[in-house]
Amino acid sequence: MSKSDWNSPEAVRRLAKRHAAEKRFKLVGLGAIVLSLGFLALLLVIMLKNGVAGLDWDFLSGSDSTDATTAGVWGAAKGSLLTMLVTLLLSFPMGVLAAIYLEEFAPKKKWIEWVEVSINNLAAVPSIIFGLLGLAVFINTFQMPRSSPLVGGLTLALMTMPVIVISGRNAIKAVPPSIREAAYGIGASKVQTTFHHVLPLALPGILTGTIIGMARALGETAPLLMIGMRAFVVTPPDSLTAPSSVLPMQIFLWSDEIDKAFVQNTSAAIIVLLVFLLAMNGIAIYLRNKFEVRW
Amino acid sequence: MILTGVLLAVLGLGLVGWFAARGRARLLYTGRGSMHSMPAYHGWHLALWIVVPALAAWLVWQAVMPGLVQGAVFATPAAHGLPTDPFQLGAIVAEAQTIASDPNAVAFNPEAQGLVEPFRQAQTKFGLIGAVIVLIVAFAGGAFGFTRVRPDFKARTHVERLVLGVLLAASLLAILTTFGIVASLVFEAGMFFKDVSPIAFLTGTHWSPASTMGDNINNNFGAVPLFWGTIYIGAIIAMVVAIPLGLMSAIYLTQYATRDVRKWVKPLLEILAGIPTVVYGYFAALTVAPLIRDFAASLGMANPSTESALAAGLVMGVMIIPFVSSMADDALAAVPRAMSDGSLALGATRSETIKKVLLPAALPGIVAGVMLAISRAIGETMIVVMAAGAAANLSANPFASMTTVTYQIVQMLTGDQEFNSPKTLSAFALGLVLFIVTLILNIVALRVVKRFREAYE
Repeated sequence: MSKSDWNSPEAVRRLAKRHAAEKRFKLVGLGAIVLSLGFLALLLVIMLKNGVAGLDWDFLSGSDSTDATTAGVWGAAKGSLLTMLVTLLLSFPMGVLAAIYLEEFAPKKKWIEWVEVSINNLAAVPSIIFGLLGLAVFINTFQMPRSSPLVGGLTLALMTMPVIVISGRNAIKAVPPSIREAAYGIGASKVQTTFHHVLPLALPGILTGTIIGMARALGETAPLLMIGMRAFVVTPPDSLTAPSSVLPMQIFLWSDEIDKAFVQNTSAAIIVLLVFLLAMNGIAIYLRNKFEVRW
Repeated sequence: MILTGVLLAVLGLGLVGWFAARGRARLLYTGRGSMHSMPAYHGWHLALWIVVPALAAWLVWQAVMPGLVQGAVFATPAAHGLPTDPFQLGAIVAEAQTIASDPNAVAFNPEAQGLVEPFRQAQTKFGLIGAVIVLIVAFAGGAFGFTRVRPDFKARTHVERLVLGVLLAASLLAILTTFGIVASLVFEAGMFFKDVSPIAFLTGTHWSPASTMGDNINNNFGAVPLFWGTIYIGAIIAMVVAIPLGLMSAIYLTQYATRDVRKWVKPLLEILAGIPTVVYGYFAALTVAPLIRDFAASLGMANPSTESALAAGLVMGVMIIPFVSSMADDALAAVPRAMSDGSLALGATRSETIKKVLLPAALPGIVAGVMLAISRAIGETMIVVMAAGAAANLSANPFASMTTVTYQIVQMLTGDQEFNSPKTLSAFALGLVLFIVTLILNIVALRVVKRFREAYE
């Protein structure tokens, strides 16, 4: 090739080749996204096709049954509500308080590092391990009632708390120091500054993280399988210690039925669960957009 | 019943105390600087002095009361002639206790029926005693607190010290949880390793825990096929799906997509991550597995099974895509813009820049992301429970049924309920291995990410 002759046939060919490679690469990227989203669409369409005919009032208000036509989802949904209540009541205050301590008060010492490492790792520990913990500690050691929303909620709370701590810390970190300095400046104590000024400003971010953590807990099955929350619930549970099931567990149990009629029930229950999850995520996104302050 | 009422009474007293102390503190206020703390802090201080000691007394009483009640019941004439066998005795006492608290319950045991009345009496008696003790403690605490409502008393300091203690306790819960996990796994796995040698467990290739009756128990707990199944499904098949798709999505979204496309596509991808795993599992079992079976049959395989490693791995890979994508996204965003600008200025095309500059620079971050993705995939349970199968196969055939560590944990713990057999305990040993492996992956990955970020700051 001559010195820099851009019009020589060789150079033109090379450029064309490079541009073709560029186009191919871009198409591959687009293809990856289309393929992923296509899978999502396929999953949703199949569930809707199988399940939408089964969604009626009897299904939404009934409880489990051996007969697919009378089986409903309310018993499991109520179990889920009770379990989530326990989870929220425990993990939210504990998570927020821990986040406040680590972000605002913790001394820079070795053992604080241990707390941080253990929180980061707990957030990534497989959920089934929390199930083993619940089984060994709550059921075998403390003799709490098996398959109850109380034990399920406790187990899921331990799993959700690290998520809330991490999102809480990020939200607190995002509050600018000037807010704190202003509060100190007019004579507020450190605790007053934190609870009267920093916490309210960080709350939307904390709530967003909490809702996302709760959505994850709502869809969780494996740890609850470990503590035996697979009761056959003909009447909805009426207390925190009554045997109960939860929505994802109901899906799992129905999917195991040999009777083909349960395919419709399973898909319909999946639609109910996904609606709940989408609503929760929607609320989280709404909160984030509405209250997010850019400092 | 009485004790629940007492709890409400204590909280009510606390509220009264709050207003009383605040009111008193307001009366003491004589002008700027006359008091150390605001009146409301005196209120909190008194309320805490009423509630906290009373609550502690309540908890203590709650713990000792069952013993006292039982002692009193055994002392009554109705308890004469009860069986001495501790097991039978326990059953009768438990039954009488249920009937005493639940009027609708029916007695199966005539001896239990006789114990019901003494039980009720003893419960009422000790309930009342407990209530009185708790209230006395509440009043004593309140009286002591009230004497401290003085202008120079540092109520705020005291209240804040307690608040700090509560905050500290909350953050220690995380360590407690970690400790609980490690302790329970190690303890139960230790019981298992008393029966089965750890070496046989970690290196054996034959897994059939159901037949524990054989003379050599060590031969039935070889977990290598489970480890292989876990790695094959979670770290190989799933990653073959997730890494290219996730990485290319991230590259397209960060390098090519317009702002509007990005705004819409990213949340959609995140929905993929938010779908519960049980839904993926059902989808794998209902739709993907039959397709793969038919495909295997068309390849000429005899009797392909419905449950295949490929079905579980493929769906798991899809589940992981958004995770890999967002990790890759972060890694690419951390590379300084000047590096890609430099490459573009030299005349490289965008794809050449990405392949030769961006990806090598972001590689440590991407590798760490993949490690986290693997740790998530091997801990995933529902998809493999619903789609992978129970047979412990040591094979490289993706159409074969294969089992995983998580599947076996579920299998061991949801069947019969005899707790201390090697079969159920093996679940904890498997859990321990899983915990250690995911822990190592996470720690290494987080460290790599940290170092990688620092390198470009």
